[in-house]
Amino acid sequence: MPVSDPQVFVVDDDESVCRALARLIRSAGYSVETLDCAAALRNRMSTISEPACVVLDVQLPDLSGLELQRELNTRLPIIFITGHGDITMSVDAMKAGATDFLPKPVCETVLLRSIAQALQRAEEAHAARSELDAIRLRVSRLTPREREVMELVVEGRLNKQVASELGTSEQTVKIHRARVMTKMEASSLAQLVRIADKCGLGMRGASPASR
Amino acid sequence: MSITMQAIAILEALVILCLLLVITRRHQTAALVAGIGARPGAEPPTQTAQARHDAKRARRAWQATRAGRFDAPTRGASTEAGPDPRRSAAVSAQAGDNQLVSAAARSRYERMHPMQYVGVTHRHASGQIEALENSQSLPEHAYPRRDIERHFCEIVEFLPFAILLLDPGGLIKTVNPEITRLFGYERDELVSQRLTLLVPECGAGDDSSACAATRVSQRMESASPVPSSHELSARRKDGTEFRAEIGLNVFRFDEGATIVFIIDRTDQYELHRNRLDLAHLMRVSTMGQLASSLAHELNQPLTAILSNVQAAQRFMAADPIDLAEVREILNDIVQDDYRASEVIRRIRAVVKKGELEVAPLDLAGVIRDAVHLLRSDAIVRSTRVTLDLADDLPLVHADKVQLQQVMLNLLLNAFDAMNEIPPVDRAVLVTLRAAPHDSVCLAVSDKGHGLTSDKLDRIFKPFVTSKPHGLGLGLSISRTIIDMHHGRLWAENNRTRGATFYVTLPAGEAA
Repeated sequence: MPVSDPQVFVVDDDESVCRALARLIRSAGYSVETLDCAAALRNRMSTISEPACVVLDVQLPDLSGLELQRELNTRLPIIFITGHGDITMSVDAMKAGATDFLPKPVCETVLLRSIAQALQRAEEAHAARSELDAIRLRVSRLTPREREVMELVVEGRLNKQVASELGTSEQTVKIHRARVMTKMEASSLAQLVRIADKCGLGMRGASPASR
Repeated sequence: MSITMQAIAILEALVILCLLLVITRRHQTAALVAGIGARPGAEPPTQTAQARHDAKRARRAWQATRAGRFDAPTRGASTEAGPDPRRSAAVSAQAGDNQLVSAAARSRYERMHPMQYVGVTHRHASGQIEALENSQSLPEHAYPRRDIERHFCEIVEFLPFAILLLDPGGLIKTVNPEITRLFGYERDELVSQRLTLLVPECGAGDDSSACAATRVSQRMESASPVPSSHELSARRKDGTEFRAEIGLNVFRFDEGATIVFIIDRTDQYELHRNRLDLAHLMRVSTMGQLASSLAHELNQPLTAILSNVQAAQRFMAADPIDLAEVREILNDIVQDDYRASEVIRRIRAVVKKGELEVAPLDLAGVIRDAVHLLRSDAIVRSTRVTLDLADDLPLVHADKVQLQQVMLNLLLNAFDAMNEIPPVDRAVLVTLRAAPHDSVCLAVSDKGHGLTSDKLDRIFKPFVTSKPHGLGLGLSISRTIIDMHHGRLWAENNRTRGATFYVTLPAGEAA
């Protein structure tokens, strides 16, 4: 899946602050989009496919930035900027996973460093998400029987054990297992286990001790 | 004002007394008055005692009529009252059963009626002066005018406030002891001096008393609706000044004279000053409360400027330089700088201390300024402020700073009223409309819990507050300010929820 250019969103209800910050960020080579309220960002969320981060004013007229953070923290790294933040507010924001909490007027180097950091996180998350999507796609191609075989194999059972558990012959299990390796694009058992781990497969049947 | 009213009462009583002297002389019923007439040389002891007695009687009579006691001793008078029942009643109350009130007396009374103006003129709020040309029409056989004048002067001696007489040339003819007490001059030092010695604002040098009177009346007419300006500054012998209310009345005896009464207004002035100081303190304290949101208001343009400059530096380092972008940046920096100085201007305007400056004023501008000052505060409190201001309203005549104070107070109260309700419901609506009788009506509505019926009026009293940290002075000061502008401030509960505070102010021609 091709990774498009990272995008920075600047959300501030103050038009001139918004414009100035956008300019500064653009001057550092990022692609910037400005939004004037929390609702606008919410609407935009569903259409964001590229790695992105948000430079967000804590006090927006329609919604507090911290509330918005709760909604989109898992999707977008947030850099808060604030004109009148206090310690409590910044601690809350950082605990909730904000990349940074910067006072206005914002220092250029600090802001750009934070953006770089946030975008790196976003790209990592984006990559992880893309990989997971690919794995899930592969898993969806397995037949139910192949899936059962895979779950047992990644738990470390031998073909013989799998066969007896599923009430079939060892030979049949071998064939299923080969198909699983092909479909999951795994070249070794170790790789298959890692893939299964990433998409959470094989954990359901496993006892806590075996994990 | 009560001092002025008393002065009016006493002066009126004096006039009545003079009238009585004339009338009783004609009817030969008041022996003692005749006695005075027989001794034109006027020896003080008995004369002054008599004068005091007369003044007292006249005062009593006047008080009786003011209190509305027209009936008892004035049964005969009520039908005969003529054009001015109040004064006729006073005459008859004084005269008792002397059968004075006859048709003849009445017509004489009416002929002499212009003399009443002596007591009346200074009651014109505008300070209008009316000359008493008609007093010349007194019958020749009436009580000698010179005697009346002398008698009058003696009574003046005992009046509890400062009075002096100017001759037609504008020189001081005589002063009463209150004048010497008030100004610290001896009587001799004042006689033949000009009024400007005591009241420099009356004008310079060589004017006649009539000119001085005109000037004083002009000063009074041009005065603003704010109390302090009704008064002039008077100067004592030791050079200290005090605020005084000056009344001038041209009074035609033989050659004409002007009565000047001077009322020390220091107390009122102090009170007025204290009120202004208190209002100023409240404004400063309001700004203190808003300090953090105001800092934010300043911080916004500073943030924009800094980011713009840093962006420009980067653009300048690039090759080729994006000149269009840099030009735009410079424009924005200029705008943001203006914006920052506008914030400072608004803050300064509120904390400004000084005399009232009453001027024609667009109320909508005042409202917008106040809302701007509270913008950040509103955001922090999750409160939406909506403005609905009618266009083309007549201007009000008011002091901008004070009206802004009222506006800030009403808005902050509205914010406070909604602290307890969920943020989504917090909204303030400010409307400005034309109102009947050439006035404008401002309304600030909140969506809080409203006010209990006993609170609706009580909240305007000092030290009454519903807030945990409130002083309870905001609304009481606001009401004083609106009263001073001849307007009205009151509160009503909304039909649905919350309360609305209304302010009406005279505008346009009525202002």
